[in-house]
Amino acid sequence: MAIRRYHYARDVDEALSLLLAYEGRGALLAGGVDLARGPGTDVEGLIDITAAGLGGISRDAKKGLVIGATVTLEEIRTSREARDYLGGFLTEVMRHVATLPLRCMATLGGAVVSAHPWADIPTALIALGAEVAWRNEEREERAPLEELYRRPFRAIFRRAVLTEVRLPAWGGAFAFEKVSRNAGDIALLNCACGLGVKDGKVAWARVAVGATPYRAARLTGVEELLVGESPSAELLAEAGRKAAAEAKVGDDLRASAEWRRAVIPALVRRALERAAREVKGDA
Amino acid sequence: MKVYFELNGEQKYVEIKPGERLLDLLRRLGMKSVKEGCRTGECGSCTVLLDGRPVRSCLTFAAKAKGHRITTLEGLGSPEDLHPLQEAFLETGAIQCGFCTPGMILVAYHLLSHNPDPTPEEVREAISGNLCRCTGYAKIVDAVLLAAERKRKGDWR
Ligand SMILES: Cc1cc2nc3c(=O)[nH]c(=O)nc-3n(C[C@H](O)[C@H](O)[C@H](O)COP(=O)(O)OP(=O)(O)OC[C@H]3O[C@@H](n4cnc5c(N)ncnc54)[C@H](O)[C@@H]3O)c2cc1C
Ligand code: FES
Ligand code: FES
Repeated sequence: MAIRRYHYARDVDEALSLLLAYEGRGALLAGGVDLARGPGTDVEGLIDITAAGLGGISRDAKKGLVIGATVTLEEIRTSREARDYLGGFLTEVMRHVATLPLRCMATLGGAVVSAHPWADIPTALIALGAEVAWRNEEREERAPLEELYRRPFRAIFRRAVLTEVRLPAWGGAFAFEKVSRNAGDIALLNCACGLGVKDGKVAWARVAVGATPYRAARLTGVEELLVGESPSAELLAEAGRKAAAEAKVGDDLRASAEWRRAVIPALVRRALERAAREVKGDA
Repeated sequence: MKVYFELNGEQKYVEIKPGERLLDLLRRLGMKSVKEGCRTGECGSCTVLLDGRPVRSCLTFAAKAKGHRITTLEGLGSPEDLHPLQEAFLETGAIQCGFCTPGMILVAYHLLSHNPDPTPEEVREAISGNLCRCTGYAKIVDAVLLAAERKRKGDWR
């Protein structure tokens, strides 16, 4: 490995100018748990951004949640703001992510940019409709995370600093499910589902499935199936079956496409059932 | 590059390589309780406390220690003067080969620092990121519960 310099950026401007000066041979470093596993042989300079003023979790005026890029996963798990948001949905998601010593280092920004296809955080953020903000040489930009992942985002973050993640307020409930070989392992499949109910009918639905083994994607056909219907056990089971048909699944060394197609119905149904129980207040 | 940090209560000012891992730095400084198992963040044998919170030293760049407080097992007790957690591990038979023990004790220390009366379930969750290939975990849970009981009675430091 050829790491020659380690910088401690004091603010976003400094981080960005260092990053640009390296012309592709520098890497922003937050918790560093991903970079430490293999920074890439072309990386010469590490730019630590954990003291660059990108911390902090707060509620915005519309009761959404704003999380700074360098907030650690454990800070999120233990924060009051996250517990108060959607009945602690994010607290629950973070509990499923890796183990405590890893969560004490790993940051939300690092999770968004590393975007492992098997990761749990992108699945939850996509279901929630997260919007991310970043700074590049010219300006500050924002985009829904779902849209950013359709762009060459790794190239974008070689010349930009992700600054925050914004989660909108939702009048409903979300639930997260993960299947893995043991509690600390990465997912064989994961899913995040949200439901809003009005006058006994589903007013909106959000369904995202990840680790398929591809990065999380929303299943809009399943969402459409749910909206306007009463959230009965039959409907949620049908949504699970439709999810297996709609999701793009594949083989990897951990599980086969066939296995994934067989498990998705139960996983999606369970998450929807929990969300439905919580919406009705009888969780 | 040179960095200042506090290691087990002592000020250090040491030369490090910019890409060096905290695991390698600590072992270089003689902290041989910090064990290298997997080097990929999965086994927990390299766990140390950074400002009181457990981290994987194999996935932590040494440069991150700058200005912070690092605690290894050497900072809790010594063979001549065992920490109550070390005593409890010995008494309950929670140590076989001992490779996982430093990491186990440090996560247990962190747990008891904010939860002096944990349930067995909470102990299991706290140690869930640390693998032990020998004991089967039951005695480790017993050891932490015994140490917690003694801590509540004032036997602690
Ligand atoms: C052993 C292990 C187990 C894991 N288990 C899980 C799991 O169960 N579920 C799950 O969802 N995830 C899991 N992960 C993934 C984990 O969530 C991410 O690796 C972690 O969040 C990365 O954060 P970091 O701050 O350490 O990133 P870093 O290593 O600091 O950075 C990662 C990448 O993001 C870039 N980057 C970081 N911050 C910014 C920023 N603000 N702007 C632009 N670029 C940036 C870096 O340049 C680098 O390319 C696991 C990881 C490991 C190592
Ligand atoms: S050596 Fe660090 S977790 Fe295994
Ligand atoms: S005692 Fe041998 S690994 Fe735990």
